[in-house]
Amino acid sequence: MSAVAQPVAARPRSRAAGRALTRARRELLTIYALLGFAYLLLPVAVVVLFSFNHPKGRFNYTWQGFTWSNWTNWDAVPGLKPALELSLEIAAIASLAATALGTLIALALVRYRFRGRAVTNVLIFLPMSSPEIVLGASLLTLFLSFSFFTLGFWTIVIAHVMFCISYVVVTVKARLIGFDRHLEEAAMDLGANEWVTFARVTLPLIAPAILAALLLCFALSIDDFVITNFVAGQEVTFPLFVWGAARAAVPPQINVVGSAIFAVAVGVMLANVLVQMRRARKGAA
Amino acid sequence: MSPLTRQQFVRRAAAGSAAVALPGAFAALARAGVDPSKVKGKTLVFSNWPLYIDVKNHRHPSLDQFTQKYGAKVKYVEDINDNASFFGKIQAQLRRGQSIGRDIIVMTDNSPYPALLVQNKWVEKLDKSVLPNLANLQDTQRHPAWDPNRDYSLPWQSGMTGIGYNAKFTKPITSVDQLFTDPKLKGKVTLLTEFADSLGLAMLSNGDDPAKVDDASFDRAITKIQKAVKSGQIRQFTGNDYAGLMAKGDVWAAFVWSGDMVQLHADNANLRFTIPKSGGMIWTDNMLIPKHGNAYLASVYMNFVYDPKIAAEIEDYVNYICPAKGADRVLLKTDPGVAKNTLIFPTVAMRRQLHSIDPKALFNADYKTKWQKVLGA
Amino acid sequence: MGLLHRHKWLVPYFLLLPGLAWLALFFLVPLGYLGHQSLETQNPIDLSYAFKWAWSNYREAITGFDPQLFRSLEYGAIATVIALLVSYPLAYWIAFRGGRWKNVLLLFIVGPFFVTYLIRTLAWETILADDGPVVHGLRYLHLLSIFGSNDRLLATPTAVVAGITYNFLPFMALPLYVSLEQIDGRLIEAAQDLYASRVKAFWRVTLPLSMPGMVAGTLLTFIPAVGDFINAQLLGRPGQYMIGNVINSRFNELQDYGAAAAMSFVLMAAILIMIGVYARAIGTEKLTG
Repeated sequence: MSAVAQPVAARPRSRAAGRALTRARRELLTIYALLGFAYLLLPVAVVVLFSFNHPKGRFNYTWQGFTWSNWTNWDAVPGLKPALELSLEIAAIASLAATALGTLIALALVRYRFRGRAVTNVLIFLPMSSPEIVLGASLLTLFLSFSFFTLGFWTIVIAHVMFCISYVVVTVKARLIGFDRHLEEAAMDLGANEWVTFARVTLPLIAPAILAALLLCFALSIDDFVITNFVAGQEVTFPLFVWGAARAAVPPQINVVGSAIFAVAVGVMLANVLVQMRRARKGAA
Repeated sequence: MSPLTRQQFVRRAAAGSAAVALPGAFAALARAGVDPSKVKGKTLVFSNWPLYIDVKNHRHPSLDQFTQKYGAKVKYVEDINDNASFFGKIQAQLRRGQSIGRDIIVMTDNSPYPALLVQNKWVEKLDKSVLPNLANLQDTQRHPAWDPNRDYSLPWQSGMTGIGYNAKFTKPITSVDQLFTDPKLKGKVTLLTEFADSLGLAMLSNGDDPAKVDDASFDRAITKIQKAVKSGQIRQFTGNDYAGLMAKGDVWAAFVWSGDMVQLHADNANLRFTIPKSGGMIWTDNMLIPKHGNAYLASVYMNFVYDPKIAAEIEDYVNYICPAKGADRVLLKTDPGVAKNTLIFPTVAMRRQLHSIDPKALFNADYKTKWQKVLGA
Repeated sequence: MGLLHRHKWLVPYFLLLPGLAWLALFFLVPLGYLGHQSLETQNPIDLSYAFKWAWSNYREAITGFDPQLFRSLEYGAIATVIALLVSYPLAYWIAFRGGRWKNVLLLFIVGPFFVTYLIRTLAWETILADDGPVVHGLRYLHLLSIFGSNDRLLATPTAVVAGITYNFLPFMALPLYVSLEQIDGRLIEAAQDLYASRVKAFWRVTLPLSMPGMVAGTLLTFIPAVGDFINAQLLGRPGQYMIGNVINSRFNELQDYGAAAAMSFVLMAAILIMIGVYARAIGTEKLTG
């Protein structure tokens, strides 16, 4: 009985073992991915956690108790609020300007034929591929050579627009390339001229990419330290404030602002993604 | 003659009483020798180092008192973290003769910058007509080499550079050599990035005089430090971020500034300061008026700060060395602990252990470059 | 409008003009000025500059700081390789297993990027503290002596490289993801139909098709990594300082603009050489793709 039963029992077991091994290998990747996400989020968790810290002294390195007061008194640290406001202001202006300039370039690159395409591509690629320290240093040299420029708000804006344009071009270009020209042709067949077509067909359809580019610029601008450090003169943006604070005293309020910016940014992106997912599902249905 | 309406009467009476009161306030200022029209409604822009003025409930009481007394607002900005980088930010405009939007800046005399500013005429002269309290300046600080008559500057605070240690992790450290060689401290020591501080202490430990630097004594000191860096004894070079590292426990002993340690000691009694056996360094942070700053208003403010009562208020929080005479007597009544703290009011014996850096050494480009190499940059 | 209608060929130039003019004015021209500055010497008293064809600035930059220069290239390369090894499986998992939630999962990669760079790096100072859980854990596993030195992680090359890797990870992960996401799943199916194992299918189909992403990611990670100085300053010690630290201190601390400018060009030259070597190795078409 057992001699017959064994072979029969052995086959399902080895198949099950084979399936388990395959499953394990699949899950290995998933486990790895989860570990990867944990690693990526670890510092963020620490930042958020320590924003609730209640340190006795001037430093926020060791956990000493929970408090909400850092969040309620987030602007109690002198200089923090003006620095944040300055950063937001600069980011708003710079991202609008860079998005406008970059979108125009992207349109030209994708839609038209012209001489100097290679030069344009190189000129777009170069700032993205230069170390920030070189970008900042060279801008400082330029600004110092002309007394027309006073280091301060506008020099920071100029610098931020400069390094954002390339990212806008890349982002919008990607969407334009995959764009279905038939919609535009259909609109023109129905009597719309080029401007109307652009405004009512093209623009709305590439709007998500333009918005994405705008947000990317905003993020790059509000986070920039190296280039801003070179051209800010005596203005203090939020990253510059953090750098100065890191030397003397790191108040928990810095973590508060850091966490808030993170939460708002992720929230906006999450909302955008979920809206698009719902639209896709509705479209598919 | 039209009869006055009640409103008109009240309005005129108010104006009249104001007209009576204003001269009173003006008179008070005039008695103090200050021209009220030159201060009232104006704003003083004051750039200073962080944690360097009195703070209470997120306000600066001494600044509020100044506003109350003179009617001038103070925009207080803590944007000086480092002499060199702050100077780097302002020198372009100063070189072009432009205003930097500040009325008072504070720079340390163990860096070349106060001397540079005076030499290049990038600072305004003090208005001594409103500075009677200049008489309260400590005798030892009246004639610095770079501003012999105190025409351009007044000390804000002085400080000592010495050894700080965490008593929780190590026994008291009294010698620089121990800091550099004790194997138990390996990787737990930081030195200061400021050339005058670290090299000064190293020179003293070699028996050399930092007030007279020559190539030989410089080389001896730098070799000593370099050896300690290469061996891994020295963990890092810091500005005042040693405080965070000590609080964290990553650093057990360091070259530190006295006032900092007094402030830290209040939060953590294990953090202590000593003047090394071979001697410590003393330096002074000076108030200067950059070109196109409001010299009159700035001088009025400096005079205000040299009033022993105000100096005592600031000293009570800042805990560095007070440049104004009489503050310790005021503090004896209000906060005797501070008054008796020899780190804040050092004794004559202590002062004899303290040395200043040779100003010529600060301008030596060769020394600067060699020092930067030790810093790794 | 009439002008544009008749001369349609002008339209692209009008579109390009504002943006390219901005880049020319504030990227190219400054580089020119930087070059000019690199040949100037400075009067230490009144800080005025004089153009003196000071090629000595370049000599000093190359000979005086080659440890920092090579260290930058070394750390940059190591960080890029580690970033590639860490990001590839992550990007692969999102692209092939993410399903409907791909874009949400991408937020995990991009999200941390939105915490200010300096604050993120300061958080690593807390995480890697001498008395912190990571150091204790590594010591328990007897791995601390391999990764750290002197019984600590901070102020060691490991901490600096780890910081650089973390901070530039999204620059590697996102191009990889874009490339992987575009791979048609049917190609892999086809390979498997032709009796390829999963591993072989990956090696012969997926990996080559993701090359553009790898190239883009490598460049976008390596170049900023080499020029970084913040991680070295916050997480390292003088023995780990990179050429970025030197350039930064020359500009912002010593105001020695001539030397600093020369060093900047030496850095860019070093990067271009490395890219050239890399392009040779993988074939130039893949680079400009």
